[in-house]
Amino acid sequence: MPSRARGWIAIIVVVAVGLAASFVVQERYHHRVLTLVFLWASMGLAWNIISGYAGQISFGHQAFFGIGAYVTVLLVVKLGLTPWLGMIAAVAAAVLAAVLIGLPTFRLAGIYFGLATLAYPLILRIVMDWLGYQEVAIPMKREHLGWFMQFSEPRSFDLVALGVLAGSLALSYRIETSRLGYWLRAIRENEQAAEAMGADSFRCKMAAYMLSAVPAAVAGAVYIHAILFIVTPEAVFGLLVISQTLVVCLVGGTGTMWGPVIGAAVMVPVSEILDTTVGDSLPGIQGVVYGAALILIILFAPEGLYWGVLQRFRARRSRGAEGVRAAPIVVAQPPAHPGAATGDVLLDVRGISKAFLGLQALSDVSFDVKEREILGVIGPNGAGKTTLFNVLNGFLVPDHGEVRFRGQTVTGLLPSALCRRGVGRTFQVVRTFPHLTVLENVMVGAFAREAAVDRARARAASALQDVSLADRAEALPGGLTTLELRLMELARCLATSPRLVLLDEPLAGLSADGVDAMITMIRRVRATGMTVVIIEHTMQALLKLADRLVVLDQGRRLAEGPPGRVTQDRAVIEAYLGKRWLARAGAPAC
Amino acid sequence: MARAGGGAGVLTVAGLGVSYGGLRALVDLTLEVGEGEFVTLVGPNGAGKTTLLKAISGTAAATGTIVYRGRDLGALRASERAALGIAHVPEGRRVFPSLTVFENLELGSYRRAARRGRAQALQEVLELFPILRQRRSQLAGSLSGGEQQMLALGRGLMAQPDVLLLDEPSQGLGPRIVEQIFETIDRIRRERRLTILLVEQRVVEALELCDRGYVLETGRVVLAGARDALLADPRVQRAYLGA
Repeated sequence: MPSRARGWIAIIVVVAVGLAASFVVQERYHHRVLTLVFLWASMGLAWNIISGYAGQISFGHQAFFGIGAYVTVLLVVKLGLTPWLGMIAAVAAAVLAAVLIGLPTFRLAGIYFGLATLAYPLILRIVMDWLGYQEVAIPMKREHLGWFMQFSEPRSFDLVALGVLAGSLALSYRIETSRLGYWLRAIRENEQAAEAMGADSFRCKMAAYMLSAVPAAVAGAVYIHAILFIVTPEAVFGLLVISQTLVVCLVGGTGTMWGPVIGAAVMVPVSEILDTTVGDSLPGIQGVVYGAALILIILFAPEGLYWGVLQRFRARRSRGAEGVRAAPIVVAQPPAHPGAATGDVLLDVRGISKAFLGLQALSDVSFDVKEREILGVIGPNGAGKTTLFNVLNGFLVPDHGEVRFRGQTVTGLLPSALCRRGVGRTFQVVRTFPHLTVLENVMVGAFAREAAVDRARARAASALQDVSLADRAEALPGGLTTLELRLMELARCLATSPRLVLLDEPLAGLSADGVDAMITMIRRVRATGMTVVIIEHTMQALLKLADRLVVLDQGRRLAEGPPGRVTQDRAVIEAYLGKRWLARAGAPAC
Repeated sequence: MARAGGGAGVLTVAGLGVSYGGLRALVDLTLEVGEGEFVTLVGPNGAGKTTLLKAISGTAAATGTIVYRGRDLGALRASERAALGIAHVPEGRRVFPSLTVFENLELGSYRRAARRGRAQALQEVLELFPILRQRRSQLAGSLSGGEQQMLALGRGLMAQPDVLLLDEPSQGLGPRIVEQIFETIDRIRRERRLTILLVEQRVVEALELCDRGYVLETGRVVLAGARDALLADPRVQRAYLGA
């Protein structure tokens, strides 16, 4: 991640290049191409906010482009309002439309969201036809050309469009370098993990959608004045608008503000040059060549030119630096006086039941967790242990029963709200944000407490230090070992400053030394004042760690008590521990 | 399937290397598995055990040679290797979440050679994991973690493979069921003379079951030998058995 100043300088350089181009170019036609590059880059940037950063693929983004065009032009026609002010109204209308579209549509996930968005520009086309706006021409205002965005000099349109691009870049960069940007990327990579770390995914997506409507509406308004002069439903709500947007994003790369800029700078001139050269002699051939160029780029840079070039550059830089993983992880021992449980109740679980389609996953489960306790939850596979965690951190709302945390009822709160109240968790199979570095993964947790990026970064770095993973901060999760992944997930959870930490099988897949490192780590977590509830099958480890055990079997609480007593319990041995345990229990390990 | 004479090498791995980005996960690794042999791989996290299984099944790109029954696997894709009878049960419960338990199991037996014995294989798997019978029409994604692990193992067995690559079958399972799984693996191999390559963190149980074992560290074989020799080796005892 480049430092803040470097990003702004890059934006200034791009705008300066655009400015220079507009003063070098002489012919009217070339100005038009330049205007189109700026406008399609802006439209791509708009789409990239919701579909690139947040990963919610929208096939209906021309809805906002069209609203921008229609609202400004209709205000000129009906009220004689200048488009400079009309654009403000157009942006307001587009943002309102984003809210109205987002409210029902964000209930859908993945491809279903994308398909649903197809409907909205279609509806708007029909509405415009029905209202009688099949063709709305911009009335000429000869005496106030500039005031009505009707320039005789084509360079002026370049400059207006370049202004739109500069604004879109600034907006994108602000998002990329803010908490919202990190949350959006986390939601794209793993929505559940992001929610558990305090990101309210519905609100984040809605914010992104509203923001992404802004450049789209402005681009639509300027496009109509600079290029079309006549608004028709087909021209602004049609498929060509969204396909041009998608082309610049796919060619340039998504999830980065440079993608749409590169895509537009390459593809718009290519298509225009083809139109005027081969298209003149062999009408229609330009479409074929354009398609071939697109296929070539997708073959050689399937993630877009920006990512393709970046990857090659990084590969060259890291060549020669190849090496084998360095020293093993050594976790510092906890302080000499591990604070024991205080006796105050932190979490009170009362009569929780949860059924899935006839399967009773939890029935009437009650227990409490004391402050600074380490409570182990054990039981056979399918007993409902993870379901219990999902209720405790808000992924599931129980059918019956109540959960009280620090004296307050928290049943039914969103995972993000529970996280902010101090419930952190990790997952049975580690859930990473694979395209974020280890440090950025942990920052997502830190954002539950810090809005400022710098402070979140510092908090995340210190959490990584705490789990002895500081040297892996810049790595991607894909290159980490199982132990490192588990430690990273723990650091991400600790960065949310939890009071209660829910650990779902933190020792699974760890070798003996890894188990020891993790046990030490969990003891340290408790020693710093946190309370731990842990699901685990590695009994020897749990006997060393836990103050108390709760045993679940087929959704019911089978037993509860100190480990020594619970593991001697006939019913527990029968249901969970097995005969061999009984044989070994002759010489108790605890 | 007609098999070569007993004791012949089923799987021969030579000079195997795998890199992720700049990180070398396996370095010039050589290993041999004989007919009907049960070989266990142990080692700390990050030693390259999982990567080795992935390289053999074709789900990780590798340099070097892997020869299976006289045939170089280098040019074959993962699906082609599976069709030859190499079944990989990966770690981390890679089941098909939106298919039912039954459909997941059926998909395991699409290999041509496995289709005939499908009904019997299904019976065996369901006997082995009765909970899967109860859950047969549930979506695999709605199973608990441990149940998904059983399903992944069951799907591997449905292929009636010639070579079974098992990556931490005990991960996330309760003690009683782990005991059962190790007993089952032992029984299956006795009955079928299956060739097994097992990666496990439960070092004692896994070594007790095997014929031979390899200890991997930082992408290299640091120790190899027969079961009893390994279990008695002071280095193994110190590092893995807590002695």
